[in-house]
Amino acid sequence: MKSKKVLALVTALTMVTSFALAGCSGNSATSEPEVKESVKAEESVKESVDTEGAKLTIFQSKTEIMTELNKLAQAYTEETGVEVEVWETTGDSYYSDLKTSLSTESGATLFSLQPGSESRELADYLDDLSGLSFVNKIGAGMADTIDGKVVGIPYTVEGFGLVYDGDLVDPSTITTTDDLIKYLQESTAENPLGLSQEDYFLIAHILNAPFAVQADPTQYLSDVLAGNERLADNEAFVEFAKIMEAIRANCKNPVDITYDNNCGDFATGKTAMIHQGNWCSGMFTDYDINFDMAIAPVPVLGNKKISVSVPIAWYVNLDATDAERQLAKDFLEWLYTSETGISYLMNNFNFIPVVDGMENTNLDPINQSVSAAVISGNTIPWVMSNWPAGIVSTDLAPITSEFFTSDMSGTDLLNKLNDAFVAAAK
Amino acid sequence: MKIKKGWYALFTAPLMIVFMIVVVIPFIIGIGYSFFSWDGLLKHKAEFIGLKNYIDVFQDTRFLESTVRTTIFTIIAVVTVNVIGVIFALVVTTRLRVRNVARTLLFMPYLIGGLILGYIWKAVFQEYFLSIDWGNWTSDPTKGIIAMIIVTTWQLAGYVMIVYITGIMAIPNDVMEAAMVDGANYFQTLFRVKFPLLMPSFTICLFLTLSNCFKIYDVNISLTGAGPGNKLEMFSLNIYNEIFSLSNFGYGQAKAIIFFFIIALITLAQVTITKKREVSM
Repeated sequence: MKSKKVLALVTALTMVTSFALAGCSGNSATSEPEVKESVKAEESVKESVDTEGAKLTIFQSKTEIMTELNKLAQAYTEETGVEVEVWETTGDSYYSDLKTSLSTESGATLFSLQPGSESRELADYLDDLSGLSFVNKIGAGMADTIDGKVVGIPYTVEGFGLVYDGDLVDPSTITTTDDLIKYLQESTAENPLGLSQEDYFLIAHILNAPFAVQADPTQYLSDVLAGNERLADNEAFVEFAKIMEAIRANCKNPVDITYDNNCGDFATGKTAMIHQGNWCSGMFTDYDINFDMAIAPVPVLGNKKISVSVPIAWYVNLDATDAERQLAKDFLEWLYTSETGISYLMNNFNFIPVVDGMENTNLDPINQSVSAAVISGNTIPWVMSNWPAGIVSTDLAPITSEFFTSDMSGTDLLNKLNDAFVAAAK
Repeated sequence: MKIKKGWYALFTAPLMIVFMIVVVIPFIIGIGYSFFSWDGLLKHKAEFIGLKNYIDVFQDTRFLESTVRTTIFTIIAVVTVNVIGVIFALVVTTRLRVRNVARTLLFMPYLIGGLILGYIWKAVFQEYFLSIDWGNWTSDPTKGIIAMIIVTTWQLAGYVMIVYITGIMAIPNDVMEAAMVDGANYFQTLFRVKFPLLMPSFTICLFLTLSNCFKIYDVNISLTGAGPGNKLEMFSLNIYNEIFSLSNFGYGQAKAIIFFFIIALITLAQVTITKKREVSM
């Protein structure tokens, strides 16, 4: 009988824990952001007239900085006495969570978006931030401007391209598409070029290159969306399709590789080159790497520039009360001008400076490549930020994984991608 | 009698209120949304377009393909879940020494959320299968569905087993003894006595698995995603993508309403058919 009781107890325990687990798993899909940490203000002696009793709520999608951001919130509370609440997200459903909360008028005061189609869609919810003191010091074209008003303050810049292993690849020999294809055919590395199965690493980033090398990328994109231009008629895309065919013929199948495996194989010298961005450099610190690396351009039409842009920017919720909005602006002002704030941006978040006068002295090699490209102006834009929202996951990635798991021709790939763009723009 | 009714009302009221608020009312509002073209943002105007969303659905090949795929998946999964569930139940109601432990272990997969199950099995179907040269099952249109059926079966078989166990335990001993005295062998007893008396359990389990498999979403998104060429996209994932990725709230809602009626019709038909076959003692 005793064993039965123990068994019942174990079962009960399992149930409780797994319901808790199931609860966690559910949260990523629910619309209500979970409040993880609310940093309580100590009994504040200071009296602020217009913002009394209000607290600052922050909801943002850059999960890598979450731990540091919570510390930053604490530091801010200690310095100013303002209560800050940082909402947690897994990042996966951030945008739909944000939209839901804005629609029900329960959105955070300060939130993040991708400048581009996301910020255009939510333009009615964004407050004018032109009044902040450091706005005119933000690097050219990096602040998100809508109708002449600055609404988005950039976090950092990020760049991506072909991250190469200096011992296995000599980037000076790869300056054209033909060179790259020749390299792919002749390379002796276990995997000459690694893409991975996740939507953005499978297609979105690499497809940005042929868009960005167009004479007027924005105009070209709208022509494609309107159906006036076909990708298959454009030389840059034809070259891109050839590269994709060469990857399929000579490299490990990207749909079989995960992001972690891809970066890990690169760090251990099994993969000579990966199409990745500076964000993956954090992972490389876990490995003992003794080769040189940097980011090389995707050489469509002889392109020599890497894709660099502001991935995420801060926005203030126009629907929040005046007091709350003031708090959010004060916070941004503090973050970008005070000593503590800047120190967090540079040292804790490890951001590449976007505002004049900031300097980050401890960048790793890949971040340095991006930073150098920004300074020398050797960059092409992220046209992908202006693609119709959601298209990467719902259409582009499935089409590309079909390409990699069948014998679809490069031209068919271009045509299918093209049709998806036109359909999504309707 | 009157007092009793009052008590019933009192105790069911909280549940009824919650049910109204989170299920019935949103459902009715949802029917309304399906006649609009709207991107889900309060500040953006919803445009009334009548039945256009419903007409568009029938020209949406991607949605129709996912309907066919989900139906095939459901038919196979319902069979495998119930067959294996019944076998489990029969095994653990014998004089097996480890029957209690076995019941617990077989039931356990159900306690893990589908999302987590999907990610766990993804490692098996992808990394492990690649390492033994079986290929990546999650990126193949046919094997991907098989993978989903395996995971669903693994998850639900233990659950329906519990229902079948209760059914089997409820079969009176005298019937079984009578069958034995009459000289019926094991299979005769199983098909002529046990199964007819288990019909109420079949009704419940078929209903549960049918609706569960039609609505499959968590295992789909975590195990395979939409897959190459969207060939692994099920009903629910298609609706989710339409609403939350492409921001077509009205159109996605119309799909969801159609989805509801399909499931309601099929499960109702099933319940009526199996109810008719139930025998009473």
